[in-house]
Amino acid sequence: MSFKKQLLFSGFLLSFLSVKAQKSENLIPKDAVTVFSINNINLFQKISLDELISYDFMYEVHQELFDGSTSGSTLKDSGLDFDQKLNVFYGKAKKSEISGFTFGVKDQQKLFTVFDDFDLIDKMSSESTKVYGSFFNNLIIRENSALLIRVEPTMDYISEMTDSIWYARGNESPFDYFEDDFEETSILEEKVFGEEEDINLEETELFPDASENPNVKNYYELRDSVQLVLQQAQLEIILNELLVQNINLPSFDSRFANQLTHNSEGVFYMDNARNIDKANGLWYFQTVLPSLYKDIQELYAGNVILGDIYLKEQVVQFDITAEYGTGLGAIYKEMNDSKFDKNCLKYIPNNSSGYFSYNVNMRKAYEKAYEIIMPILSEEKNAQIAMNVLTIELLNEFINKDALFGTYKGSMFGSFNGFKKIKTKKIEFFYDEETFEYGERVAEAEEDMPIFTYGITIDRTDIPEKILKHFGRLTSKIQNKGKYWVFENAIFDAAPLYMINRNGLFILTNDEDLAVNHADGYGKEKLNRKAGKKAKKSGFMYANINVAETINRFPMDVLNDRQNEIIQTLKGKSGSLELISSKTSVKKTDFKIEYTFQGDDTSGKHLLDLINSIYIVTK
Amino acid sequence: MKNNLLFLFILIFSLNSCIEILDDLTIHADGSGTFRYNINLSSNKIKVNSILSLDSLDGQKVPKIEDIKEKVQQFIKTLDAQNGISNVKIEENYTDFVLKFSCDFTNVLLLQEGIKTTISSMTKEKNTSDINQIWITWDGNKLTRTIPTIAFNKLRKLNQNDVELLKMGSYTCISRFDKAVEKIVNPLAELSKNKLAVMIKTDAYRLKENPDILENVIYLNSTKN
Repeated sequence: MSFKKQLLFSGFLLSFLSVKAQKSENLIPKDAVTVFSINNINLFQKISLDELISYDFMYEVHQELFDGSTSGSTLKDSGLDFDQKLNVFYGKAKKSEISGFTFGVKDQQKLFTVFDDFDLIDKMSSESTKVYGSFFNNLIIRENSALLIRVEPTMDYISEMTDSIWYARGNESPFDYFEDDFEETSILEEKVFGEEEDINLEETELFPDASENPNVKNYYELRDSVQLVLQQAQLEIILNELLVQNINLPSFDSRFANQLTHNSEGVFYMDNARNIDKANGLWYFQTVLPSLYKDIQELYAGNVILGDIYLKEQVVQFDITAEYGTGLGAIYKEMNDSKFDKNCLKYIPNNSSGYFSYNVNMRKAYEKAYEIIMPILSEEKNAQIAMNVLTIELLNEFINKDALFGTYKGSMFGSFNGFKKIKTKKIEFFYDEETFEYGERVAEAEEDMPIFTYGITIDRTDIPEKILKHFGRLTSKIQNKGKYWVFENAIFDAAPLYMINRNGLFILTNDEDLAVNHADGYGKEKLNRKAGKKAKKSGFMYANINVAETINRFPMDVLNDRQNEIIQTLKGKSGSLELISSKTSVKKTDFKIEYTFQGDDTSGKHLLDLINSIYIVTK
Repeated sequence: MKNNLLFLFILIFSLNSCIEILDDLTIHADGSGTFRYNINLSSNKIKVNSILSLDSLDGQKVPKIEDIKEKVQQFIKTLDAQNGISNVKIEENYTDFVLKFSCDFTNVLLLQEGIKTTISSMTKEKNTSDINQIWITWDGNKLTRTIPTIAFNKLRKLNQNDVELLKMGSYTCISRFDKAVEKIVNPLAELSKNKLAVMIKTDAYRLKENPDILENVIYLNSTKN
């Protein structure tokens, strides 16, 4: 199992074993950008360890932590302090990537029967803090808390340092001869070579030969050495900051510190501003347009996602708050300031397995974004940006925004209505009894297809009508059927797509029944009033999924073995997932996700079942 | 690209519940003949299309249709270059997913050797018993044939849920001759009215349960027609 998986599932594993907060959170490095912190007490009380270990994901963690040397041991023998929080973290900085978790330690001797591959690193340890190492992983124990951390320098940083040393030593580019040959080889490969040659090419030519002098490292050997040294150096920087300067995430970010005080079973923290800051995709702005990059940073400042997990009787509840900085907050507020279009509800059947609505005002969002972002771009002294600004300003002047945003207002809805048999055509062979010679003929066939409906709100119904009319002239596949349009064989060249342009909505669906019999809505069969009211009352977003119906109506023959396995683990579960959002202010939007279930199982048991299902899918 | 042919096999056998295979061998008195092999997935083209729209399936990268076409062309080129094999053709219909392969051969041993060499060079499966299997022998008056193991060995690994669906897939094996057939060993086989062709048809479920179900020995009249 990979280190990340180990972390993830160790996290889940240990999350059910910690009882109340003490100090483990003070060992979270400030560079952690995403943290999942568990304070849970209830779950452990309700679910036995034996039951925990019977889960697939628990079994693997059990195997991972308790290898042959600890055969027969259980988690109880791990020396962990279940009275402290467990914090799983991840972060990516320019020079390194960090991941790990922090936890309480009750019995060090027992702990090292689990972490039995770690050796003490004297030079990094002090009286109060012991640092242990095992390959790329390090275990730090201070008083009664521990940090298990992996620090990996980023490939960009390793390459930068390696190149610098390589060229300073007077070497030529290690890739030159490879690149010279590669083009020619590639052409030959396409025309003549088979796979065997491809493999040989990769195996023999991707790596330069060892240098003539065995004491002199070739490029890749040098890069390995650089990686090792940088890993050590980055670890020392992080540990110095954490253990000597006592800078940790709770002291660095008061929002996280505040989140830790919540009386929930677990908290979640993701600093989007730093995610943006360290995103690889922005390297161009960082290097070529530093002032624009700074402006983007400012726009994203203050963006953080904070969440709480509550386990209640028959409900698992996630409360999430997305906080924004002023600039983005203003755009989001305008974007989400949109009235719910109740016409959507007409097209969601009451027996729908899952549906969502999303209400945004693209025009307001565009205008606010134009107001905030254009001045930033206009300040940039760069020819390319200046041309882009000019293009956008001209488009802004010339384009008919009433027509554009009247056609695509931004609000939408969708529903999944199970699977239906749809009629398709197939080729079949038929045989002549005299000679057994055969021919082909087209025959009717039936296939299962998931039935989806997706619609957008629209004021300018004449525009899609115009487009469809002209396309209908170009191909007989597009036909006007009065209340709806049909595009034959549009889906996978086998099934028709129906388009309904009525009641201020433009709807795409593969549900023939909706198009033919309910082009003006489902009438009495539409979503019931109570459910409709909930969707209407929610902020800019609402979703509802009936787990049991969705799973039980899933045709198994469209799945591979692995997917079948996950569906089987979920079968028999009942309940629903509901997402509700608040109105968006310039500062934040709140989301609430509730998984409600029926039956005698506890909420923790359901959560574990869900985790187990996810594990089976991802293992 | 490397695994496209392998993926094609996986795709074909992951769709075993709907696949129709037609295996048609014409053999002349001198041992030469024509081999035709048709794969028809048209009854599940939505499923095939949905699989092809994925990036990967069961850890295998899913190729684009263009990649498959390229591999098919490579297969034709490689097989056509084999000793004793000529006139290799594949009709490709990627709308309905019907592939129709045919080639001429000078004798059945060279046909099998050619196919084996071609598949080996494209999949790197050089020494498996599947690929080295002799599935046709001909002595001028007696044809012994089964079907290539590689064509159904994936069926054995299916889980119980899929087994029932196998009944919908079919495998038809036809053998044609210049002379009339005198005797057929397999009781499931049918003789054409003109007595020059023998056909056995089964479903994929029966094939999984009994891989020898299509095995047959056909004796021809020793007198000239």
